[in-house]
Amino acid sequence: MTLKPTYLLIIALVFLSFTSSVDESIINDDIQLLTTETEFEAGSTIGLTFSTTNASKPNLYLSNSYGSTILKPHLENSILNYQLPKTFSNKTGMVNWKLLSDNTALSGKFNIHSKQDVSSMETYLGPPSIEAGETDYTMLVVIPTDIYDNPLKDSTAVSVKHQFLENESKDVIYMKNSISYKNIYSESKTGRILISSECLSKNSKEYDVNIMPAIPTDFTITYNRNHEYADGNQITSFSTSIIKDKYDNIVSDGTYVDFFITNASNHILKTSGITINGIAKAKMIHPDHKENWTVKAFIEGMSESDSISLIYKQAVLDFQVAFSEDNRTISVGPLKSFMNQMIPDGLEVKLHIYQNDKKTKTLFKSAFEGYTSFKLNSNIFPKNVYTFKIETAGIQKTYQNIKL
Amino acid sequence: MKEKSNKYLTVAILIGLAFHGTSIFFTLEETYDALTHLFFADHYANSWFEPWNYKWYTGFTVMSYPPLVHQAIAAFSFIGGLKFGLFTIAIISVILFITGVYRFSLLITSNKAIADYAAILSIFSSSFVETLHLFGQLPSIIGISILMHALPEIYLWLKTGKYRYLFTSLSLIAVTVTSHHVTPIFGMVFFVFPLIGMVIMDVSREQVDSVKAITIRVFLNSFFKLFKRIISFGMSSLVIIIGCILPYWINSKNNPITQVPIPHGSRDNFLEITSSGLVFFLIPWGVLLILLPYIFYRYYSKRYLFFGLSITILFILGTGGTTFIPKFMLGETAYNILTLDRFTLWASIMSLPLFGEFTYRFAQGDLKTLIQDKFGAIYHRTIGGMLAGLFVFMTVFTMSLGYFRPSQPQQIKTLPIVNFLNQDQHDQWRYMTLGFGDQMAWLSAQTNALSVDGNYHSARRLPELTTRPIERLENSKFKGLEGIGSLQQFLTTPEKYHLKYIFSNDKFYDPILYFCGWQRLPQLENGIQVWEKLNVPPISSILPKEDVATWQKLFWGIIPFLTVIIAFILNIQWLWIRALKAKIRTIPDYLNFENNYGSFSKRLLKTTHIWSVFLAVTLCYGIYKFYIKNDAHHSPENTILAYYDALDFKEFKKAHNLINPESNMSIAQYMLEVSVTDGLLNSYAKLDAIDTKVTHKTDSLATIKVNTNWITPLEKISKTNYKSLIKLNGKWYIQPEDIDLDLPPDQLYSDNSTGYFNQGRRRITTEQTHHEDVLKQPVLEILSAKLIKRDNSYALIGEIQNIDNVPADVVLNGTLYNDDDKELAAFNAKYHVKHKLLPKEVTSFKINFEGIAWSKIQDSIPKTFNPDEFTPIEFSEQPTKFNLQVAGNVSGSDLYKKATISDLNISSEVISGKLFNSGLEEITIPQLLITYYDENKNMIWVDHLFLEEGIRQQRQQAFEYLLLKDNNINIITDDMENCFVNGLPNEDISNKIVPNRIKNQTHVALQTIDHPNYKFIKIETNSYIGNSN
Repeated sequence: MTLKPTYLLIIALVFLSFTSSVDESIINDDIQLLTTETEFEAGSTIGLTFSTTNASKPNLYLSNSYGSTILKPHLENSILNYQLPKTFSNKTGMVNWKLLSDNTALSGKFNIHSKQDVSSMETYLGPPSIEAGETDYTMLVVIPTDIYDNPLKDSTAVSVKHQFLENESKDVIYMKNSISYKNIYSESKTGRILISSECLSKNSKEYDVNIMPAIPTDFTITYNRNHEYADGNQITSFSTSIIKDKYDNIVSDGTYVDFFITNASNHILKTSGITINGIAKAKMIHPDHKENWTVKAFIEGMSESDSISLIYKQAVLDFQVAFSEDNRTISVGPLKSFMNQMIPDGLEVKLHIYQNDKKTKTLFKSAFEGYTSFKLNSNIFPKNVYTFKIETAGIQKTYQNIKL
Repeated sequence: MKEKSNKYLTVAILIGLAFHGTSIFFTLEETYDALTHLFFADHYANSWFEPWNYKWYTGFTVMSYPPLVHQAIAAFSFIGGLKFGLFTIAIISVILFITGVYRFSLLITSNKAIADYAAILSIFSSSFVETLHLFGQLPSIIGISILMHALPEIYLWLKTGKYRYLFTSLSLIAVTVTSHHVTPIFGMVFFVFPLIGMVIMDVSREQVDSVKAITIRVFLNSFFKLFKRIISFGMSSLVIIIGCILPYWINSKNNPITQVPIPHGSRDNFLEITSSGLVFFLIPWGVLLILLPYIFYRYYSKRYLFFGLSITILFILGTGGTTFIPKFMLGETAYNILTLDRFTLWASIMSLPLFGEFTYRFAQGDLKTLIQDKFGAIYHRTIGGMLAGLFVFMTVFTMSLGYFRPSQPQQIKTLPIVNFLNQDQHDQWRYMTLGFGDQMAWLSAQTNALSVDGNYHSARRLPELTTRPIERLENSKFKGLEGIGSLQQFLTTPEKYHLKYIFSNDKFYDPILYFCGWQRLPQLENGIQVWEKLNVPPISSILPKEDVATWQKLFWGIIPFLTVIIAFILNIQWLWIRALKAKIRTIPDYLNFENNYGSFSKRLLKTTHIWSVFLAVTLCYGIYKFYIKNDAHHSPENTILAYYDALDFKEFKKAHNLINPESNMSIAQYMLEVSVTDGLLNSYAKLDAIDTKVTHKTDSLATIKVNTNWITPLEKISKTNYKSLIKLNGKWYIQPEDIDLDLPPDQLYSDNSTGYFNQGRRRITTEQTHHEDVLKQPVLEILSAKLIKRDNSYALIGEIQNIDNVPADVVLNGTLYNDDDKELAAFNAKYHVKHKLLPKEVTSFKINFEGIAWSKIQDSIPKTFNPDEFTPIEFSEQPTKFNLQVAGNVSGSDLYKKATISDLNISSEVISGKLFNSGLEEITIPQLLITYYDENKNMIWVDHLFLEEGIRQQRQQAFEYLLLKDNNINIITDDMENCFVNGLPNEDISNKIVPNRIKNQTHVALQTIDHPNYKFIKIETNSYIGNSN
């Protein structure tokens, strides 16, 4: 930014010196353009020559799409020679020139075209993944350039080759407005398309596009469990059939499937699974009381499963409750499971304590080797009459008016 | 007269250098301030003349602190690095301090032996040791030391009127002011004014025969005689104080400190907060406390009368918030800006000459004779030994305080972090540190990357910071809920600050980072956890700065060093004569006013004795109270407090010792039980307040209701527990609680999952990432979005789905507009969303529009701020439209979705149920997102619940969620016209990818609830995994 005034100053000084020199000499110009060519190749030596009749050396103003400059001539045998610097002669495009002489208003333009020799293939491909189904596409843009980084001429042929599964194909496209491009549509199968391009025997490197499965379709679910008892201590696992899209592609790994479990009391429990090879598996712990589950899986907004039912049989049929002499220790048990074995540790036993028909506290304990006991601290439960309700495995037992 | 070499002063300097010179290497880097000064020095080392620093607080000016010390460190750093500079300056400050005390003592007492004593005592003075080794306040030390050097020159100017003394004194004042601005301002009041008084006294004394003959009239006469000199000195020093750091004053005027005051320990009530009392009162005074009667007695003698007044004011100001007087004296503003510990420091330094005097009289003067005559030689020696022992104890204690109670986290190796920031263009974003303490300043000095945070709170500029009473975001957990609240705002909208990386040295902050949508990168080799946020644009290469005039920059870069050079030239003569005895010099005037140490006042001795006994009794009582308070078994309350304290600091052995020994719980069993409990409360909570209430107590049994408040990074948790205690052999113990006996079904089980890895740049190159290596942004779809008004706050709610085939990290940014399309507010989704979505996964979301909390400084800060609550933005106009921008980025981390709802019980007020962890990882913090629907299954609100306890593998965890009661919810608009995904219109994407969407497909699976306003709810789970397998 700070250089700008400096440039302006220099240019101004150049102009000033030029005008002053013009003032000094009596000019009788007769300058003629000698160069006849108007088409040059980028990178070649490009010069403009003029014939002149006197010794004045007017500057040449030069402008292309990158910028402008002023050239000083080389005068020899009444021939003015203006040599284009590399920064101009290497770039394609129209170049305008004007001779900065007071008397002669000479100006003109010429074109520099690219060297028809590919040095590199500037390639852009995106998006890098598309959806199966022959409607989604990715765009390949190829710009073959010469050694000076100029795009080749329009109408230059570029061949685009791509491979997908067994198919290999080759298309020819043409440069237009300095680029060439092609839309590559997805197939109905998932997989990877490898793409390359070629121009004037120069080959690009390999590019690839992944075709991802389209949205999933409906599927079915199954379940698996070790036994049908509601002991609260086994895992039931659910799994889906292989989930596919409408082109029969297995959905991508990691697809999220929600399983909704509606139980007997119409509460909706929830588990989820993530597909691997199209199968999502979800787990749920057994209920601890008899249950009737209806299970249905969803992939939100896209697909769903059939609905299945599971019945869990009561595992603990009954239990005993024993009070100590002062009623402050309440033992619960034995808690026996379906084969009369002691229920596995961890079954939750609740003790609801009521005073004057109002619930004051609920204590939770876990069964240990088939038994559990509650100890009522006299600091928390002072001497009074209480009602106890003991609940486990969906069974409730009430003991009215127990005196502590 | 041939002057003798001053052996004792030389010895003092040598001992001082040996003692402090070796110990600073172990203490200075762990102090509060030293590394911040180092950071400033780094700034000057890199750009001496450019005051704008980009590294902290999105840019600040170093003209907000006097530059001399920093520039000096920077100058030395050119020789041997920054730390070399720091230690060199510290050593220089030690020399300046000892010699300064010597000169000041000589001025006050006119006795070389006393000045020698004072110089030696000053080495070990606990206030100096504390300021240097605990606080690291180098500029303050250098300031006060130079001021002490200036005092004799000021005296001589006033007394003799020789201009050379005026110049030397002014030159030294200039150095003082360029090193520390507060020192000369208050130094003028507390040191120079009393000194002027003393000069007038001395002049008056010369006019009359005895001290007694000095009347007010004589005093006033002398005052008018000296008036010209006093005024000329006063005016010129005022010019110096303002002139030498003129850019500082200009900056202070242009950028006045309009911040919420930051609490400082020195403003505490020392009787209530004993730790502050220890650090800001007991330690700096140290053994001088015993000598207080002597110090006051001596300073209130006629010659020193003004010093007496000065030290009294200093003493009172130094007591901080213990009484109302300091606040009354300073006024509200000054009281809240100043740290009051400096007054105690100055008072203790002012006492040093008299400490020397007392020691002299005690060791070889009249006091020795008096005590020996009265109590015998043995008593004298015993007392001497005790005083010396106490003095040394205070020094050792102060020195080692940083060792026993470290103020800083353990030293962090910064190199891996510096390397991380340098590689792969990571320094193109801002970063932040968490749990680094003041070491963050050292890290900032070493890297070119910029931080949002900083360690010099006066320079903070972001309103998010200045409106909070927190020094740094870095240690926000110690600043309670305000701190966490402030941090959450930065973490939720990091794009605003280009904040992409966070280095965490404290796992406390992990949950909030996760729930705000940050993800973990692999740990660095020094154990620092790096967190990264996706979708944050890099900092632009041109950053705004507040420029100042070039003359100011030159002034700031040149003047401070110039003052040193001038002071050096002016004072070198004195140094030359003093040190090398090149020439016999005239005896300075102040040496003519020697005291007569003939007879020590018997009453003073008696007073000192009484005072000492009083102090001893107070101390014993304090220790006794301390013991009772800390004897864990003394009472049931003590036991509970000690138990929670032990748990809070993870001292499990100590906690186990409080468990009933007859319960047969071995430490191994206890540790096992503690180690298996994880979760928000057990692993990430800090005890904020505890309140105990004995509900029932007998001689041997007690039940205590314990109300605890915990600060967690996510929200405040209040808990009420009932604990039973038992008394055994006169000691109280806690009865252990039952443990969870649940056995998981499977011993060994397996699970398959899909993992993802993003190569990033496939080619190792410093260029921009290759075009073909840039991943496509995952396509998301906004299923619904609406603007909701609830009470007075606005929120955007809705649902989004990842409709791509790769997992996505989701960033949601909502903007509200009024009818005239004027932007009113913008904010991001915090934790009411699952930030990581698997392919086809759906999440509900809510964006709260948070204002900058307490954006008006005068707003009173609520005492019970809850980080979960937020300050709703104040809308001057009614928002009617919204724009929702959703951005997806591929992310393979934090995709654990194995928390299932295994049981539900619904009543009209509460939903209780159980979560079951069916996967292979332990869920540290489970979160529920609860979406409310009306009778037509229209989504109307999103709420959340964090479970306090974690869920181990194949285990269940109960939860209880209270349903919302209010019904002040209005849908403002559900027009989704301005919803965009990755910058593209949502509708286009929806039509292209899922053209035949089954609308509201899972509405059949909504849970019915019995509630007057809401008819259905949906529960989603989200889990934070603290330690991945």
